Amino acid sequence: MKIAYYPGCVAKESGRELDLSTRWVCRALGVELVDFAKFSCCGSGFIDEANETLNVAINARNIAIAEAAGLDLMTVCSTCQGMLTLAKLRMNDATVRAKVEGALRPLGITYRGTAKVSHLLRVLVEDVGLAAIKSKVRRPLSGVKVGAFYGCHLLRPADEMQWESPEEPHSFEDLLTVLGAEPVFYRGRVMCCGFPVQFVKQETAGRVAGRQILDAKAHGADAMATPCPLCHISLDAYQKPASKLVNHPLDMPVFHLPQLVGLALGAAPEELGLSRHLVSTEPVLAKLPAAPR
Amino acid sequence: MAGSTISVPLEVHRFRPGIDASPTYQSYRLDLAPHTPVLTALLRIRDETDPTLSLRYSCRSAICGSCSMRINAKSRLACETPVGPEIERHGKIVVEPMGNQPIVKDLVVDQAPFWRQYDRIEPHLKVDPRHPMPVGQPTSMTPAEVERFRDTPRCIACAACYSACPAVADDPAFPGPMALAKLYRFVVDPRDAARQDRLVRIQTEGLWLCLRCHLCTEACPKDVRPSERIRDLKEMAIAVQGPTEHGSRHVIGFERNIREGGTLNEMKLVRQTYGLFGMLPQLPHGLKIWRKKPEVAHRPPPIEGKEELEKIYAALGTEEPR
Repeated sequence: MKIAYYPGCVAKESGRELDLSTRWVCRALGVELVDFAKFSCCGSGFIDEANETLNVAINARNIAIAEAAGLDLMTVCSTCQGMLTLAKLRMNDATVRAKVEGALRPLGITYRGTAKVSHLLRVLVEDVGLAAIKSKVRRPLSGVKVGAFYGCHLLRPADEMQWESPEEPHSFEDLLTVLGAEPVFYRGRVMCCGFPVQFVKQETAGRVAGRQILDAKAHGADAMATPCPLCHISLDAYQKPASKLVNHPLDMPVFHLPQLVGLALGAAPEELGLSRHLVSTEPVLAKLPAAPR
Repeated sequence: MAGSTISVPLEVHRFRPGIDASPTYQSYRLDLAPHTPVLTALLRIRDETDPTLSLRYSCRSAICGSCSMRINAKSRLACETPVGPEIERHGKIVVEPMGNQPIVKDLVVDQAPFWRQYDRIEPHLKVDPRHPMPVGQPTSMTPAEVERFRDTPRCIACAACYSACPAVADDPAFPGPMALAKLYRFVVDPRDAARQDRLVRIQTEGLWLCLRCHLCTEACPKDVRPSERIRDLKEMAIAVQGPTEHGSRHVIGFERNIREGGTLNEMKLVRQTYGLFGMLPQLPHGLKIWRKKPEVAHRPPPIEGKEELEKIYAALGTEEPR
């Protein structure tokens, strides 16, 4: 299959390991990623708070870029997924659509709203398929207990995101099972990572992230995994400050979703950028055979 | 069909503060029709098995908002949660009191913190004394004015959103979803003369503490969608006052940041939010991140077609830097 790849800002810069591992995994699974240098930021929910119509417009432009090439879009970030989906919904409102089209038309941009916007997780589970992934596993993640962490905007508001149950999602755990890992079910997996207030009140952001890590740990997780690079920043890059704020030592390796898929499919850790994490992933790697079968 | 029942295991939170050392979960099992509300199950337990079980309820029809509790971890009304789907999903029904409020007994909480936040936003019309409302006559609103209330008048103050909110859990200074949705309701009311004051005040009184997780919108039994109205309040607050807080400076900084190159310049955003000196406390941990991810200090190349984005910004009325 061929799909327009919308990496989002973080995967292009400080979260490059997400981009690296996404490309590795898609190559291995025969998903052809088409890059567009014209894609802009999705606004990350912040532009939405400054100017709702503008936020719809920049994302309608992103969607139109894929549509012009006749492709559906794939995101690798829960927030990008949320913002692009929201833009499609808002474009169903005639008033919003008229304003946005008024800005896009003079630029020769036509928004049709026909392109599907799917997160990598959904592409893997529904388009590639669990059976196809299972048949390519060369290094089963046996004995590794993983707490999936979904990220709010992949799930909620559920009537807008229109995918999984916001309370009991299971696609991520289904995928982990196919990779040979043991999914850990804990309440925190559908909760907030704290990222949106990282710049408002760091103590809150840290405590909220710390609580979810503690919850995963209390349920026996050896590692966490997330489909969202913003959650990854909260859970990995800011785990040490979070540890102080929740008054508890934390040493939880946090993987990007495609990094775990890549490991199971036989990628070497350096091909997935694992050394770029702030919390070492070595304890998990130590449980796995170094060479894939 | 009538008469077909399922066996429903319930685990009900029991706690008498000051008497019990810690809460316990008491197990019950009832045979119930799948459509039976959890509230009916709890009342049967109280009336037929255990009269000491305490819970709060009144109308049994999702109107009064009294029977909010956490059912299988989700904050909602017990009177409109049927047992069947819960058993299908979870195999049992765990019933706990609402979160973020002190427990009085079993499933009853002290709602004082919730109502204090409600009072704080002054939930009443503030009419300009120079233009008093006509006495004895109805006031009229245009359909467009009525439309602006969205679904906020439907709120029944059940506090399910407050119970579910992680920002309230972390910081009692956060007004909570319901109070903010109510504030929105008065801010958009054409009869209210305090719109500007309300918006200015809320910027420093917790508006920016919302985590944008939408758990409130999921919890709300009346589809008031508090998280979306909080979003609206943020846009309106910036419009009347400009970015005065870290939260609003971050939002406006982000908007400008993307206008410049179409893609996020991470380091610059930190400066736009905190200012040059405000960045200093961020440095020690920032350096640790930079050692692993040097791109945080990169200036990313602009996107192709950045001028398109500039034109979209210009067309949709974003003001010049304030």
